[in-house]
Amino acid sequence: MLAVGAWAAVITAAHVVLNVDYNVLLNDRLPIDKRKLYVAYIPVT
Amino acid sequence: MFQGFPEIKEALLSNRMQAGFMVAPMAIALRAQGVPIKIVYLGHRYGSAVVVSKDGPVRQFSDLRGKTVAIPSRFSDERLILFRAMEKHGMKAGDIRMVEMAPPDVAGALAAGAIDAFSMGEPFPSQAEIGGFGRVLFHAREYWPDYISCVLVVRQDVIDRRPEAVQVLVDGIARSGLWLDNPPKRKARREHAADFVGRYYFRQDPKLLRWALSNPLDRVEYQPLTPLRGDFELIVRLMRETGVLDRAIDFSEYVDPRFAEGAQHQTEWRYEPGDSRAE
Repeated sequence: MLAVGAWAAVITAAHVVLNVDYNVLLNDRLPIDKRKLYVAYIPVT
Repeated sequence: MFQGFPEIKEALLSNRMQAGFMVAPMAIALRAQGVPIKIVYLGHRYGSAVVVSKDGPVRQFSDLRGKTVAIPSRFSDERLILFRAMEKHGMKAGDIRMVEMAPPDVAGALAAGAIDAFSMGEPFPSQAEIGGFGRVLFHAREYWPDYISCVLVVRQDVIDRRPEAVQVLVDGIARSGLWLDNPPKRKARREHAADFVGRYYFRQDPKLLRWALSNPLDRVEYQPLTPLRGDFELIVRLMRETGVLDRAIDFSEYVDPRFAEGAQHQTEWRYEPGDSRAE
């Protein structure tokens, strides 16, 4: 049981570190007129 | 930075991105499907080419009959330019096999012989030329004098709630275009832009971008970038003729011209190589 719990904690921690974009989360919580706009592009001229 | 236009489309739909550069027909098709976005500016003019193997069997356009040509999307000007050339050479829709491919993959696919040609925006035609395995069969402007490809698209909710931010974005692009295309300094500025864009934005070899931006200097142009009704009505007509748009759509439905109008009196950035910032 302890091993399963430790494994779940490791996986959860890895997910929180690797898969969550905190810049986006923080940006989404700002007032609309303060939010940074994200502009998408591909590397073509 | 994304690797393909479909991913940009998804990012805009999900509000992960609030604005983006995408091929004009894709923006028009999304708007025709009811997606709340608008084209507010152009990214550039020209800058697309059809490239074949340097020592391959294709020496003229009609040699592409029965061949496989990569395009960035079925909703792209790079596909429409092929149809324009096919019409001029008396070819029918099925005479060329078109396959969709992410732009960064096409030069490698041509070198490996997986495709016979590609129709794509810069710097991928330059990549094939510099690599020594590709040859430009024709530049888009040869068949389409006022050719446009990438446009700046913004979500409608951003336009409605933050028009001043959209204007800042468009003004910045206008000023960059004026800076790049200032006649006496054009070559030096393009070479400088290739260096910092390659290093800090595109993560590509600056040599490749220098080639794309200066060989020749009008290979890609950054003026005028105002969306013009005639240019877009031609794209809509070609989209309808080639089966990727099922209804007529008016210019006012997919273009919001006020930001381009607001940027008309902008001047180039005050910046020279070595300066710490642009003003």
